[in-house]
Amino acid sequence: MNKIWNRLFLEERPSIGLSFFRIFVALTVGLHVIPSFFHLDDNYLSGAFKTFNTDFFPIWFINGVQQSPDWLVIAFVVGFYVTWFFFLIGLFAQISCVLMTACCYYFYALNCFHIGTLSWDILLVTLFLMCISPYHGDYFSIDALRRADIDAYQKPRPFFTQRLLQLQIASTFFFTGLYKITGEGNWITGNPIYYLMNYPTQGVTKNFLLKEWMAVHPHFCHIVGLMIVCTEMSLPFFLFYPKTRRAAIVLGLCWHALLVLTLDVPAIFFFLFPAQLLLFIHPQAIVDWINVKRRINEQSPRAKVIYDGSCGFCRSSVRALEVMDLFKKLEYVPGDQSLKEMRLELPDGKNYGGFYAFRRLTWILPMLYVMVPIVYFPGAGIVGPLVYGWIARHRYLFPVFYACKMGDCVR
Amino acid sequence: MNLQLRNKLISIFVIVWLGVFYYESTCVYYLQPLFKRELPRMKFLFPPAGWVMFYNIEDNFGYAEVYGVKDGNPQLIDPHQILQTRAIGYDNINRNALVTVLSPGMDQSFCPYLKRRFPYFEKFLVTDVEYPQLTEEPFDRRQEVVYQCAGSQAYE
Repeated sequence: MNKIWNRLFLEERPSIGLSFFRIFVALTVGLHVIPSFFHLDDNYLSGAFKTFNTDFFPIWFINGVQQSPDWLVIAFVVGFYVTWFFFLIGLFAQISCVLMTACCYYFYALNCFHIGTLSWDILLVTLFLMCISPYHGDYFSIDALRRADIDAYQKPRPFFTQRLLQLQIASTFFFTGLYKITGEGNWITGNPIYYLMNYPTQGVTKNFLLKEWMAVHPHFCHIVGLMIVCTEMSLPFFLFYPKTRRAAIVLGLCWHALLVLTLDVPAIFFFLFPAQLLLFIHPQAIVDWINVKRRINEQSPRAKVIYDGSCGFCRSSVRALEVMDLFKKLEYVPGDQSLKEMRLELPDGKNYGGFYAFRRLTWILPMLYVMVPIVYFPGAGIVGPLVYGWIARHRYLFPVFYACKMGDCVR
Repeated sequence: MNLQLRNKLISIFVIVWLGVFYYESTCVYYLQPLFKRELPRMKFLFPPAGWVMFYNIEDNFGYAEVYGVKDGNPQLIDPHQILQTRAIGYDNINRNALVTVLSPGMDQSFCPYLKRRFPYFEKFLVTDVEYPQLTEEPFDRRQEVVYQCAGSQAYE
């Protein structure tokens, strides 16, 4: 019994999957909440049209939140933006998650009309689990760069957060199916899909290709309905059974794609749930795959990053590159002080310097992919070299965490 | 932290979490009917009714239509003008979000909002549109005024 319990929740496994999942949680929260800020006066300020979820919040809490003056609402909006962005980039990942979640609760209690859906309640459960553990900041994060731990991607961590998230989505599938055929559910006695196809435009269904055909084929709709229930109730078991896991993940992803294409469903369905399904991939399998790629790349000709090896800032920057270099695509060569800027030499003989070297790196390192639109933004080719040049000229003056630990951040 | 202590803390959390999670997931539709009484619920975290996504879809359908009245002439107001907040990837109006305004007591909040959003109109009619049997009688459309919102004087 102890062995099973350890294996299920206490065993240490790499947290790279959880770190990846953090990005999707942040995107889901942002895409769900931020649009409601575009019309603050309609949604949250005094004079807004508000509804309250008294089943979710106690009355005293809603009453307390309703006392908020407009300046406090705006302060929470700013607070949300800051903590959400920190959570997205993984800066102080756990504390930013806690503060962002607090802001989410505040806006939910202030007015549940736009953001309060069943999917939102599900997201809050996910956020709670993310709040109790700091492991989602281990990789794909600024925290990882701050810690400068090259092995961050394979750091073993207790597996319980990821396991509980797996159980959450599996249970959501199972209970969603179960509710449809028991209690007040009518998916066996009625023909819900057929009804949905005949609803007017306000009725959740998008105008997809087969809609009109399905609206006049009730038997087909009934079969589809029963298949949906069977899929929802069996998917959790397929997800936990190793031999069917891969197929179940693919089925789950297709399932959510189908939902998005056919129904007007909240952002959570196409950002959170598919990513949550990917948490079923064993993290050690991901790390093993990364390590195989690293070994292959190490034995092949690699791009060379040539930097000023006598400058602390440069060394710490290269250390950050090493953390980000998940697949070991780069080789780091310390140069001397005469080097005015970082150089990048590609195996095909192409050479880049300074800002242009950095710009090329954004294509090579997965964690820098997000920088691609910024470094190629019109005008970046003019501003970028100027900023890079200024930093390069003052590189000996920058205090940097890692360099300072080495005692040579300022020279 | 000591490894044994850490594992104990994690184990306690996991047991409590799983207990509360499955209790809340089954409370409304399974445990309460079983025990034939209302059971205590946990606020602040779980969906109050359980995981009830599309669990009961009937052949009838209802939604709200709002009319603005000017010089005695009622004009249908586009629901996207009433609720201007756009969600990403889906349309809140198509999720029938506006039907909420038909709930009892909503006029207290909705009428001042309409007045502020549409000062042009003298009054508003909030109506309930019902299709009692969509598949059998698709053209049987019933509409009634649920409440009216008075002119600007009442809210200024």
